[in-house]
Amino acid sequence: MTTAATIQNSMRGNNALPLRPANQVMNLERLGSFHQSRLSFMRTLVRRIMRERWQIEPTRFDLDDDGYGTVVYEVQAPNGLFSFVLFSHYLALENRNDRVIATQWDLTMALVEGPVDQLYLERLKQNVPLQEAGRVDPRVFVLSRANRSARIFDYVVDQLARGAQPDVEQISKVGYLYRTTAVYGSGKLGMADWEKVSTKHKDFSRPFASEMFVCWMLRNFSFLQAEHIARHKSPDTFQAMQPELKRHFGIGNSTGLGMAPFLVNHPMLISNWIEMRELALARIRVLGGINGRVKETLTTLIDRCAQHTRDTATDDESQTEKNLQVVVDLNAMQTYVATSFDTWDGLIAWSEQHCSLQGQEMLVSIMLEIYPELVDDLEDFHSVDEILDLDPIMPLEQLKEVIETRYNWALATDFSADGARETCWYRSEEKMEPRLGNSADEEAKHKQMAMGVGYAVSKCYDQLCAYLTLNPDHNTARFMVARPKMRGIVRRIQSMNRCIYGDIQANLLDRNVLPIHLLRCKLAFFGVGKFDPRSRLWVRNTMFQGAPLLEDIGKAFEDDWFMPVAPEQSGNCS
Amino acid sequence: MNISMNELKAALRRCFEASHYFVGNYEDAANMILWLEKHGLKGLAELERLLPYITDDTDKLLSSVLYEDSSSAIIDSHGRSALNCIAASVDLAHAKALISGIATVTVHHCHNRMFILKALTDRGRCGISIAAYWQNGSHTVTEHAAAIRAGARYPSYSEALTNLSASTDLKQTLTIICSSRVDLTASLQLSKGNRNARHMSAEEVAENKANSVEHGIEIEPELWQRINQIGTGILVENNDQSRQGAGGR
Repeated sequence: MTTAATIQNSMRGNNALPLRPANQVMNLERLGSFHQSRLSFMRTLVRRIMRERWQIEPTRFDLDDDGYGTVVYEVQAPNGLFSFVLFSHYLALENRNDRVIATQWDLTMALVEGPVDQLYLERLKQNVPLQEAGRVDPRVFVLSRANRSARIFDYVVDQLARGAQPDVEQISKVGYLYRTTAVYGSGKLGMADWEKVSTKHKDFSRPFASEMFVCWMLRNFSFLQAEHIARHKSPDTFQAMQPELKRHFGIGNSTGLGMAPFLVNHPMLISNWIEMRELALARIRVLGGINGRVKETLTTLIDRCAQHTRDTATDDESQTEKNLQVVVDLNAMQTYVATSFDTWDGLIAWSEQHCSLQGQEMLVSIMLEIYPELVDDLEDFHSVDEILDLDPIMPLEQLKEVIETRYNWALATDFSADGARETCWYRSEEKMEPRLGNSADEEAKHKQMAMGVGYAVSKCYDQLCAYLTLNPDHNTARFMVARPKMRGIVRRIQSMNRCIYGDIQANLLDRNVLPIHLLRCKLAFFGVGKFDPRSRLWVRNTMFQGAPLLEDIGKAFEDDWFMPVAPEQSGNCS
Repeated sequence: MNISMNELKAALRRCFEASHYFVGNYEDAANMILWLEKHGLKGLAELERLLPYITDDTDKLLSSVLYEDSSSAIIDSHGRSALNCIAASVDLAHAKALISGIATVTVHHCHNRMFILKALTDRGRCGISIAAYWQNGSHTVTEHAAAIRAGARYPSYSEALTNLSASTDLKQTLTIICSSRVDLTASLQLSKGNRNARHMSAEEVAENKANSVEHGIEIEPELWQRINQIGTGILVENNDQSRQGAGGR
């Protein structure tokens, strides 16, 4: 049985497994090359729902013929009863805006503890559609909104209404009927704090489980609504959508800069997520037996990943090149596997020599897919108490050594070089939206967020060295009294030194910083696919494509929706 | 109105960041206030009293060590709020106690000393016992004591009105006792003249927290608005150039 103690034992000391080193894994470009895996939060959530056979039924269904109105699902999970509440509104095309600054949406939603009566539903109706402009109470723990795909929603309704199926190619091209534009949790807008959710609601106690659940339910509702509208449009000719086509739909998502500060502000959590992923990989390298079945699965998954990558549509030149390279990598990997593969270490070493970063990280995700018995039990260890504690007794000489060892990447950066501190991250007065600015803008520079961890470490190191010369016997506590402005960064350095992977190793103030890597790293942990960068600041992607449907609960579940590919078209789509 | 703990923490961080608290300190300040409030010890009332002076510390000297030996220290905080200086004094007491077994740190000229409770709790969690005592008030003097056992999650807290006359020496002074060898408990004696004494046990502190986790925090709308208004100081004007740096279309 895996426990916190056995995990620690696997990562530290004489019995440690061969983890990839921090300077390799925490490189920003590599983090931005991660893909979904079976430890991604969407996968772990769906596994839980399917294995525990959650009972999810609409208990209120008040939609008019055009699909507008209110729907309430009751969710009976092993540890509690919850309600998923949706409000569907008419939205004129000109008012449809995916930015965080929007004020109207096609759908607004809330996940609530317990059953919802009429009185409480009215209260939600007064506030949920307003999103940031409304207030909810601590019974609510996720608030979200979504907009229809203008490209495909009406097409799908029309097809179903006339008894045809949507064209698989069209589904692949767009990928979703709805896209979320924000999913709020963790106490925002009066909701329950994470501390409450994680301790009281065991069914949602893993990071982002409740937020992912809302997106999955949105996907289920999107089919319900599309079929409802189509049925009322033409009751005589209507046909329901085939389940395999439904599964090929995901939920669209656009992620912007707002996600980037999260990674810097939650370094212990991020390090922990990476530790679980890397531990899974290390377990496979040492314990993953290779036989005919494993080789066959590996070959199948390589092919599937190549097809999935070919199916990924993006206008972004750089991402297109990377995707093409991944396909080349996977083809070469297939040849290597057929001729020379006998150890995982050998295959990894080969990939590091011959594949792009995205190709290398694709291999990691594939390997995790093959060994559920070595991977899945780590899904319960993604949470961490995020306390950055100062170690007051640490001698300053030791603190200096820690910086030199763990932050050598920061000390190696010349922060006085042209462009090294040109970027500043700040919050706009418009909904406090995080934005990127130039340090030549005095206001932006003056009000910038503390995103320059490397620079702060470098400054701290300089001050520490000067102080140490005068006070060689002092400890950290004494240094903190003398240099209180260093308190935040010293606490971070000491805390991250207790983690295996530590901080992201990149100068986020650099002129050429690519925030897209930060976004993609977090999204990979969520489990999204079909990355489609729209600039260096935001990325479109698809959630839950290939995932089981609500009606699949209770049926055979193979947990095999990694890197899904398009199904065969079987129904009439003309 | 009701707000979540996370909302309060985020708003307080913005508020102190806008008030020129530096990185590390604005998080500490927000956490200290939230800690008191969520544990039923009136952090928001204490905050309301300090708000008129919130930016005053920018121009004050940083804390200085007046005297120091292996088991004690005297620190002058130069009239600063405990929000931006007391944690370092508590850490120093911790470090000295680990060396000497027991240590005393006296802090002079420090306001809002009630906020020390969060710092004491952090040290208790790290496996050391620590206690603090202070008096407050110019006309009517109150006295306060707080302590946490090594490894405990919650401290106890006592306060009482006294018939003592205000002493210039003790004004804005706080004494910290810390031990790696002895479990310290601190509750006020039934001193002659003390009245309206209140003792909150560690168990009661824990119960108050459970209530806040379940139901959130009650705050006066005016205070909430003030905190948020101060916090707008960190926001950058929205204009065409700014929109270029936004992660959207």
